[in-house]
Amino acid sequence: MTYTNRPLVHACLLSALAYIATTWISMRLLAGAMVDAPIAMRVVVGLLPVIPIGLAIRAFVQLMRAGDELQRRIDVEALAIAALAIGLGALTASLLIVAGAFDTTAQKALVWVFPALVLTYLFARILACRRYG
Amino acid sequence: MNNRMRELRGDRGWSQAELAERLGVSRQTVNAIETGKYDPSLPLAFTIGRLFGLSIESIFAPEA
Repeated sequence: MTYTNRPLVHACLLSALAYIATTWISMRLLAGAMVDAPIAMRVVVGLLPVIPIGLAIRAFVQLMRAGDELQRRIDVEALAIAALAIGLGALTASLLIVAGAFDTTAQKALVWVFPALVLTYLFARILACRRYG
Repeated sequence: MNNRMRELRGDRGWSQAELAERLGVSRQTVNAIETGKYDPSLPLAFTIGRLFGLSIESIFAPEA
Protein backbone atom coordinates (compact mmCIF):
# COMPACT_ATOMS: atom_id res chain seq x y z
CA MET A 1 0.00 0.00 0.00
CA THR A 2 1.46 3.29 -1.04
CA TYR A 3 0.23 6.83 -0.94
CA THR A 4 -0.46 8.23 -4.38
CA ASN A 5 -0.41 11.88 -3.34
CA ARG A 6 3.28 12.51 -3.95
CA PRO A 7 3.35 16.25 -3.13
CA LEU A 8 2.02 15.53 0.36
CA VAL A 9 4.41 12.61 0.84
CA HIS A 10 7.28 14.89 -0.16
CA ALA A 11 6.02 17.57 2.25
CA CYS A 12 6.06 15.00 5.07
CA LEU A 13 9.57 13.84 4.22
CA LEU A 14 10.91 17.38 3.85
CA SER A 15 9.40 18.31 7.23
CA ALA A 16 11.03 15.25 8.81
CA LEU A 17 14.42 16.26 7.36
CA ALA A 18 13.90 19.83 8.55
CA TYR A 19 13.11 18.47 12.00
CA ILE A 20 16.38 16.51 12.10
CA ALA A 21 18.34 19.56 10.89
CA THR A 22 16.75 22.02 13.33
CA THR A 23 17.13 19.60 16.23
CA TRP A 24 20.81 19.17 15.46
CA ILE A 25 21.37 22.92 15.06
CA SER A 26 19.36 23.72 18.17
CA MET A 27 21.20 21.22 20.37
CA ARG A 28 24.61 22.33 19.03
CA LEU A 29 23.83 25.99 19.69
CA LEU A 30 22.40 25.41 23.15
CA ALA A 31 25.38 23.30 24.17
CA GLY A 32 27.94 25.63 22.59
CA ALA A 33 27.61 29.19 21.39
CA MET A 34 24.45 29.96 23.36
CA VAL A 35 25.36 28.48 26.73
CA ASP A 36 25.36 31.92 28.34
CA ALA A 37 22.65 33.47 26.16
CA PRO A 38 19.54 35.00 27.78
CA ILE A 39 16.86 32.48 28.63
CA ALA A 40 14.43 33.97 26.08
CA MET A 41 16.94 33.37 23.27
CA ARG A 42 17.60 29.83 24.52
CA VAL A 43 13.87 29.12 24.57
CA VAL A 44 13.46 30.37 20.99
CA VAL A 45 16.37 28.27 19.74
CA GLY A 46 15.29 25.30 21.83
CA LEU A 47 11.82 25.34 20.31
CA LEU A 48 13.04 25.56 16.69
CA PRO A 49 12.31 21.85 15.98
CA VAL A 50 8.65 22.40 16.88
CA ILE A 51 8.11 24.35 13.63
CA PRO A 52 8.96 21.47 11.25
CA ILE A 53 7.05 19.07 13.51
CA GLY A 54 3.99 21.27 13.13
CA LEU A 55 4.44 21.35 9.36
CA ALA A 56 4.91 17.57 9.29
CA ILE A 57 1.74 17.02 11.31
CA ARG A 58 -0.22 19.32 8.99
CA ALA A 59 1.05 17.48 5.89
CA PHE A 60 0.33 14.12 7.53
CA VAL A 61 -3.25 15.08 8.39
CA GLN A 62 -3.77 16.26 4.78
CA LEU A 63 -2.28 12.98 3.57
CA MET A 64 -4.65 10.95 5.74
CA ARG A 65 -7.66 12.96 4.59
CA ALA A 66 -6.66 12.47 0.96
CA GLY A 67 -6.48 8.69 1.38
CA ASP A 68 -9.30 6.25 0.70
CA GLU A 69 -10.99 4.14 3.36
CA LEU A 70 -8.45 1.31 3.33
CA GLN A 71 -5.54 3.73 3.61
CA ARG A 72 -7.25 5.38 6.57
CA ARG A 73 -7.79 2.03 8.24
CA ILE A 74 -4.13 1.18 7.78
CA ASP A 75 -3.12 4.56 9.22
CA VAL A 76 -5.40 4.13 12.24
CA GLU A 77 -4.02 0.64 12.92
CA ALA A 78 -0.44 1.86 12.54
CA LEU A 79 -1.03 4.89 14.78
CA ALA A 80 -2.70 2.76 17.45
CA ILE A 81 0.14 0.24 17.45
CA ALA A 82 2.75 3.03 17.53
CA ALA A 83 1.01 4.93 20.34
CA LEU A 84 0.65 1.82 22.51
CA ALA A 85 4.18 0.58 21.79
CA ILE A 86 5.79 3.94 22.52
CA GLY A 87 3.62 4.45 25.61
CA LEU A 88 4.73 1.08 26.94
CA GLY A 89 8.33 1.77 25.91
CA ALA A 90 8.34 5.17 27.62
CA LEU A 91 6.87 3.67 30.78
CA THR A 92 9.45 0.87 30.78
CA ALA A 93 12.29 3.32 30.14
CA SER A 94 11.15 5.64 32.93
CA LEU A 95 10.91 2.72 35.37
CA LEU A 96 14.42 1.63 34.39
CA ILE A 97 15.72 5.19 34.85
CA VAL A 98 14.14 5.36 38.31
CA ALA A 99 15.71 1.98 39.12
CA GLY A 100 19.09 3.34 38.06
CA ALA A 101 19.56 0.90 35.20
CA PHE A 102 20.33 3.76 32.79
CA ASP A 103 22.76 6.59 33.28
CA THR A 104 20.53 9.19 31.65
CA THR A 105 17.90 11.74 32.57
CA ALA A 106 14.22 11.89 31.75
CA GLN A 107 14.82 15.15 29.86
CA LYS A 108 17.25 13.46 27.46
CA ALA A 109 14.96 10.46 27.06
CA LEU A 110 11.94 12.67 26.25
CA VAL A 111 13.63 14.08 23.14
CA TRP A 112 13.42 10.62 21.57
CA VAL A 113 9.73 10.04 22.17
CA PHE A 114 8.43 11.80 19.05
CA PRO A 115 11.04 10.40 16.61
CA ALA A 116 10.46 6.94 18.09
CA LEU A 117 6.71 7.40 17.62
CA VAL A 118 7.19 8.32 13.95
CA LEU A 119 9.57 5.44 13.28
CA THR A 120 7.30 2.94 15.04
CA TYR A 121 4.33 4.26 13.07
CA LEU A 122 6.22 3.77 9.78
CA PHE A 123 7.21 0.23 10.78
CA ALA A 124 3.66 -0.59 11.91
CA ARG A 125 2.32 0.84 8.66
CA ILE A 126 4.53 -1.49 6.62
CA LEU A 127 3.19 -4.45 8.62
CA ALA A 128 -0.41 -3.27 8.23
CA CYS A 129 0.10 -2.80 4.46
CA ARG A 130 1.37 -6.37 4.17
CA ARG A 131 -1.71 -7.62 5.98
CA TYR A 132 -3.97 -6.04 3.37
CA GLY A 133 -1.77 -7.05 0.46
CA MET B 1 -16.66 -12.05 2.68
CA ASN B 2 -16.67 -13.53 -0.83
CA ASN B 3 -17.16 -11.30 -3.84
CA ARG B 4 -17.30 -11.37 -7.64
CA MET B 5 -15.30 -8.20 -8.19
CA ARG B 6 -12.48 -9.83 -10.15
CA GLU B 7 -14.90 -11.70 -12.39
CA LEU B 8 -17.04 -8.60 -13.05
CA ARG B 9 -13.99 -6.47 -13.73
CA GLY B 10 -12.59 -9.11 -16.09
CA ASP B 11 -15.89 -9.26 -18.00
CA ARG B 12 -15.57 -5.55 -18.71
CA GLY B 13 -11.89 -5.76 -19.60
CA TRP B 14 -10.87 -3.28 -16.94
CA SER B 15 -7.56 -3.31 -15.14
CA GLN B 16 -7.46 -2.88 -11.36
CA ALA B 17 -6.17 0.66 -11.91
CA GLU B 18 -9.08 1.50 -14.21
CA LEU B 19 -11.62 0.13 -11.76
CA ALA B 20 -9.93 2.00 -8.91
CA GLU B 21 -10.15 5.24 -10.86
CA ARG B 22 -13.85 4.71 -11.56
CA LEU B 23 -14.48 3.99 -7.88
CA GLY B 24 -12.30 6.82 -6.60
CA VAL B 25 -10.06 4.55 -4.53
CA SER B 26 -6.49 3.29 -4.82
CA ARG B 27 -5.55 0.26 -6.91
CA GLN B 28 -4.36 -1.42 -3.71
CA THR B 29 -7.85 -1.09 -2.25
CA VAL B 30 -9.36 -2.80 -5.30
CA ASN B 31 -6.78 -5.57 -4.99
CA ALA B 32 -7.46 -5.98 -1.26
CA ILE B 33 -11.22 -6.26 -1.90
CA GLU B 34 -10.77 -8.75 -4.75
CA THR B 35 -8.51 -10.98 -2.68
CA GLY B 36 -10.90 -10.86 0.26
CA LYS B 37 -8.41 -9.17 2.57
CA TYR B 38 -10.60 -6.12 3.01
CA ASP B 39 -14.36 -5.70 3.13
CA PRO B 40 -15.50 -2.37 1.71
CA SER B 41 -17.66 0.08 3.63
CA LEU B 42 -21.37 0.21 2.81
CA PRO B 43 -21.03 3.45 0.76
CA LEU B 44 -18.20 1.91 -1.29
CA ALA B 45 -20.16 -1.33 -1.73
CA PHE B 46 -23.09 0.71 -3.08
CA THR B 47 -20.74 2.54 -5.45
CA ILE B 48 -19.38 -0.80 -6.66
CA GLY B 49 -22.89 -2.14 -7.18
CA ARG B 50 -23.95 0.97 -9.07
CA LEU B 51 -20.85 0.82 -11.28
CA PHE B 52 -21.51 -2.80 -12.27
CA GLY B 53 -25.28 -2.28 -12.45
CA LEU B 54 -25.91 -4.99 -9.87
CA SER B 55 -27.21 -5.21 -6.32
CA ILE B 56 -24.78 -5.50 -3.45
CA GLU B 57 -26.08 -9.00 -2.65
CA SER B 58 -25.24 -10.24 -6.12
CA ILE B 59 -21.63 -9.06 -5.79
CA PHE B 60 -20.88 -9.73 -2.12
CA ALA B 61 -21.85 -12.79 -0.14
CA PRO B 62 -20.99 -13.85 3.40
CA GLU B 63 -18.53 -16.71 3.68
CA ALA B 64 -20.29 -20.04 4.09
